[in-house]
Amino acid sequence: MNKNYIILFGILVVLSGGLLFLPEKNNYVEESPENLMWDIAQPTRYISTDQVAKMIIEKDPLFQLVDVRLDYDFEAFTLPKAYNIPIDSIITADASDILDIDDINTIFFSDDDIKADQAWVIAKRMGYKNVYVMKGGLNCWIRTIIQPEAPPETAPITEFELYDFRKGASSYFTGAEISIDSDIKKSVNIKRRKKENVAEGGC
Amino acid sequence: MGPLIPLGQIASGWDFIIALLIGIAFGFILEASGFSSSRNITGSFYGYNFVVLRVFFTAVIVSMIGLEYFDYMGWIDLNLIYILPTYLSPMIVGAVIMGVGFILGGFCPGTSYTAIAIGKLDAIVFTIGLFIGIFIFSEVFPLIEGFYYSDNLGNITIGEMLGISNRLFTFIMVVIAIVAFYLTWLIEKKVRKTITPYKFE
Amino acid sequence: MDSTTKEKQIPKYINPYFGGVLLGILILLTFYITGRGLGASGAIKSAVVTTVDKVAPKHTESHTFYSKFISSEHSPMSNWLVFESIGVLVGGLLSGALFGRIKKLRVEHSPKITKKTRLIAAAIGGILFGFGSQLGRGCSSGAALSGTASSSFGGLLVMLFLFGTGYIMAYFLRKLWI
Repeated sequence: MNKNYIILFGILVVLSGGLLFLPEKNNYVEESPENLMWDIAQPTRYISTDQVAKMIIEKDPLFQLVDVRLDYDFEAFTLPKAYNIPIDSIITADASDILDIDDINTIFFSDDDIKADQAWVIAKRMGYKNVYVMKGGLNCWIRTIIQPEAPPETAPITEFELYDFRKGASSYFTGAEISIDSDIKKSVNIKRRKKENVAEGGC
Repeated sequence: MGPLIPLGQIASGWDFIIALLIGIAFGFILEASGFSSSRNITGSFYGYNFVVLRVFFTAVIVSMIGLEYFDYMGWIDLNLIYILPTYLSPMIVGAVIMGVGFILGGFCPGTSYTAIAIGKLDAIVFTIGLFIGIFIFSEVFPLIEGFYYSDNLGNITIGEMLGISNRLFTFIMVVIAIVAFYLTWLIEKKVRKTITPYKFE
Repeated sequence: MDSTTKEKQIPKYINPYFGGVLLGILILLTFYITGRGLGASGAIKSAVVTTVDKVAPKHTESHTFYSKFISSEHSPMSNWLVFESIGVLVGGLLSGALFGRIKKLRVEHSPKITKKTRLIAAAIGGILFGFGSQLGRGCSSGAALSGTASSSFGGLLVMLFLFGTGYIMAYFLRKLWI
């Protein structure tokens, strides 16, 4: 056997042996801290409860709701069609199947802003794009959508329009909730996203 | 960051031009390595010429090592590359059928194209056979559809299957390959002393 | 391996390890650019689907296998693998021309068998290979080579069983080759 081959084989062994000593790599791209700080300071991540109500009523396919509270809170009450990813599960691979879908905007919510904000920071740091927070959380949802307060007589006309929308939404959610109760709660029965089948059987 | 086409970094119109260029390189390497001769290819099975094993194994380990390093450097996202799905029993049966076809025909599809290019009539006949074989398969497909989709393990990697990391498997593969290179060299030396010289055409 | 073969007529092939490294780099590059490996039998499948679709379009529409590859937007021939396979042919031509191997049509066979036997064996081999490649989800380049390169378990499986069967059958069919 030609002696030069020993050099070739040596290179191959060293290269492949070196693989064993490489540190494990994170398989997601982290958002840089600078960008994250900038994003945290922006209010653009907030989406109002009115917008969320509108999306649910219009069945906007580009949005999905994610409840970051614990599962028994989720069982007790949540928004229609919401997924449940408790905040400590956001870094799991199962969560990535829900969060890591291009063109689908994810809106986090909890009882108030705090937990949803934390979830948002984690998700953003993990490099997920298109994540938002429902401003005011479920408390605000109850206050504005389920039991809206009538504006004072002197309020501008837009306030009344908003109130009308909220009244309508309220009856939509409270009325409709009884009938669609069963499929409101989508449990975290997440299926692993299948790899794109680029060339099945192709060779 | 790659892969470039799935990540949309190359305009889709370039797809087929790239395919053509990659094909040209593939065909050139196959032909230049001697895969356009069926007696050269089947030499691996009779011990007089292990060129197929050498080229094949070297290519596999070089690309395996390369992909792992590309992944580590962040140049390629291994989650986006196509991992051939594993259908256990259909694939075993398919491979066994292909094995018989290989030793009968002396070519595999890629090598037969290059053999056609240099004027081998047997390669043309082999390719026509391929066409008929796939046609027969397609026609009987409804009968074997259940079997075709059976034992689906999904896009599973070797590491996941064996419970080791793919990097460790790459290293094991390199060791196996080098041992195989050495052993086949010994075998080849011995066989070539006894076998009647054969003429390439 | 050099001294023993000197007296035989050996065409100028490149060193197999060099060829292997080149091929490995090409596979790596292919994965980097396209996200998947090389292939060959897929082009023949496209040709089969196209032919059957031309001859009996009704048949392909209702057929569970053909209909997977038929789309109203483009012909099954406008497929990545078809272009790649045309490239393989061109690449073979280039290399053959460069090394002076392109000659008139000829059949390569063992002196122990006739030309006819070789052609019949090639045809049967092709039919079996074509059939098997569909069950195996690819041939030696698509499944065994690129599959194993991308650490697919199925690729390794095809490689082991393809070559394993080859070795078992080699003994019985030795007359064809040596």
